[in-house]
Amino acid sequence: MKLSTYNFLTSMAIKGVKVGYPLKLTINKKDVIESEFNPVFIERLLPKLDWSAVYSAAQVAELADDIPAAQPDNVAEDEQLLQRLHHLLFEIDVLEGQLECPETGRVFPITDGIPNMLLNEDEV
Amino acid sequence: MHIEQKTNKVKKAEKKQRRSLAIIKADCNVSQSDSPTLYLAILNVGLSNGLSEEALLTAAAATGGQVSQVLMLPSKSYCFLMCTTLADAQLVYDGMHNRATIGQKGAVAYLSYVLELPQQREENGWQKPLPGGLVLLPDFVSEAEEAALLEAIAVGTASPTDSLKHRQVKHFGYEFLYGSNNVNPLQPLEQGIPAACNFMWERLELPAFEPPDQLTVNEYEAGQGIPPHVDTHSAFKDPILSLSLQSDVVMDFRRGDQLVHVLLPRRSLLVMSGESRYDWTHGIRPKHIDVVATPSGSLTTQARSKRTSLTFRRLRRGPCDCQYPTLCDTQQTATPQEVCDKLATHASHLEQQNVHEVYDKIANHFSDTRHTPWPQVAEFLNSFEPQSVLLDVGCGNGKYLGCNPQLLSIGCDRSLGLLGVGNARGLSVFRCDCLQLPVRSSSIDGCISIAVIHHLASSERRLTALRELCRVLRPGGRALVYVWAKNQRKNDKKSTYLRQNTAVNKEHTTEQAQRQKLARQLESMDQQLPVPLPVHTNRTEFQQQDVYVPWKTKDEQRTTFLRYYHVFEELELEKLVDQMEGVVIRKSYYDQGNHCVIFEKS
Repeated sequence: MKLSTYNFLTSMAIKGVKVGYPLKLTINKKDVIESEFNPVFIERLLPKLDWSAVYSAAQVAELADDIPAAQPDNVAEDEQLLQRLHHLLFEIDVLEGQLECPETGRVFPITDGIPNMLLNEDEV
Repeated sequence: MHIEQKTNKVKKAEKKQRRSLAIIKADCNVSQSDSPTLYLAILNVGLSNGLSEEALLTAAAATGGQVSQVLMLPSKSYCFLMCTTLADAQLVYDGMHNRATIGQKGAVAYLSYVLELPQQREENGWQKPLPGGLVLLPDFVSEAEEAALLEAIAVGTASPTDSLKHRQVKHFGYEFLYGSNNVNPLQPLEQGIPAACNFMWERLELPAFEPPDQLTVNEYEAGQGIPPHVDTHSAFKDPILSLSLQSDVVMDFRRGDQLVHVLLPRRSLLVMSGESRYDWTHGIRPKHIDVVATPSGSLTTQARSKRTSLTFRRLRRGPCDCQYPTLCDTQQTATPQEVCDKLATHASHLEQQNVHEVYDKIANHFSDTRHTPWPQVAEFLNSFEPQSVLLDVGCGNGKYLGCNPQLLSIGCDRSLGLLGVGNARGLSVFRCDCLQLPVRSSSIDGCISIAVIHHLASSERRLTALRELCRVLRPGGRALVYVWAKNQRKNDKKSTYLRQNTAVNKEHTTEQAQRQKLARQLESMDQQLPVPLPVHTNRTEFQQQDVYVPWKTKDEQRTTFLRYYHVFEELELEKLVDQMEGVVIRKSYYDQGNHCVIFEKS
């Protein structure tokens, strides 16, 4: 699972959960796959991402020093930050780990790179 | 020369009379009499060629002979008179035979004495009670109101006037689509039913009456008609109202071999509800002259003139729930209600066993058959701005995720087997059910859901899946949904799916034979199915909407798996989308055996 995908996932479908976001991420095993950096792509994508989850992903991936806690205003001019965001969002691949609902503690395992967000019938 | 011509003419007339007598003998077992009797047959004129009781009686009266009974038979070109005395009969015979110009275009009538009147009267459609639920309200509008209504419907161009094969039509509120015999509830016409019609609804005094929202105006010239039909059950509610203006006409109601004629007088309103709306067809024969009943109970004829009919209906916007399955499009093409209930009850079990587990088992083989993106899906994906976020719900092996590399494409599916294929290709995927997307609301620019929601076993679940697509879309975001169509032909052209049935197309076998063969195979399979449904024969037309579709593996075992499908009727997907608030349908189309809709979140 790439951390760009992580940015969109919630546990709000669980019965009784109000926000379910951001999910608590645990990384047990990861891979880094280099990919071509396109600053414009990252810059234009940012408005579609939730910065709090970008930052929490950075913390878990031990890149918190690279990524500010609050979204800076002039990201477009900060090519270095864009590069770091690219690395965080598209080059890190979580192979084993878990996502945890912040409200209920329900754990969604990540196995072989695929988060399993499937809920049981009695949970919805 | 003149004499010879005349002789020929006489010979011809005699031949005609002999032939008529033979027909009467065959039809009614009534024989000619050489000597005068009380009974006369008019050999060459009757109801079928436009003779009215009045015209006949007038002509007979002119001879001075007295008539005591007229017998006109429907659809016959002859009729009978009974006279009071033999002398009267002779007066009538002598006065009319070869003299009375009561035939078509002034042709003379030929008469003959017969031994009796036909004993067994053919039962005619006038002696029967009206179909259940049919109410005729004569003089429903006044002459002044009639004129005002005609003016109101003539104003403006509600829809382009269509000249059908047999009549002129015009629609208000919604266009009636003759191709599908349905309306598209999502495409109201600019001009609704003219307000000038509204005064009628109060006058109806029907309890819980909902005013109509669709009006079809038909203009019939004399001689034009409309074939027997039932108004599509799923298109319109009960009742259907038909207002006759400018001319009387006879409408025929049929159910099986039952036939009832109903005279619709000018300015009358016909209310079709219940049995008469759902279980009987109605039509108008294309004739210039109608046969009608006289107050005395016999029959006569009546010329038609130009008639305008106003058919008022109310859209149903959902499946039909009538008690009359025979002509019900919902119940004929759709699955019986008790099976639908069962499907809804066992939906998640059925989907688990006959969708998810099957896809996991066939994942690799299935993935091998799914590589080429469908052009119109690719076109949709390419319609987004660069850096848009795409969610493919039911992404399978992820064949659409790399389609437009300028998008951030994320896919989800139930099948781990298929997700594994996509993940191995470096695509972003996660596992979930399409009924609960674990995705932030209003975060996605574009959704696609290709061949997914037809695997859901109830319309509520199919709608829930659509609602989830809508929820995750940002305002202005668009979703493309493909579902398998029950109808695998468009404009008589077979879909790819049917075209791939080479054995049938090369006439090596037939669809029926393939169905029988499959039935025998299934007998030996002994599968435990959560809900008994017909098993579809691949590459043939769908027989029903809810079916199991077999998947045969290519390995040595040649195992057959049964996948559950709900194949969609025309407009069914649109109607489902229409049930969501805050959604606009941008495009709906048919693509190679699929019904497809693009909707936008507003």
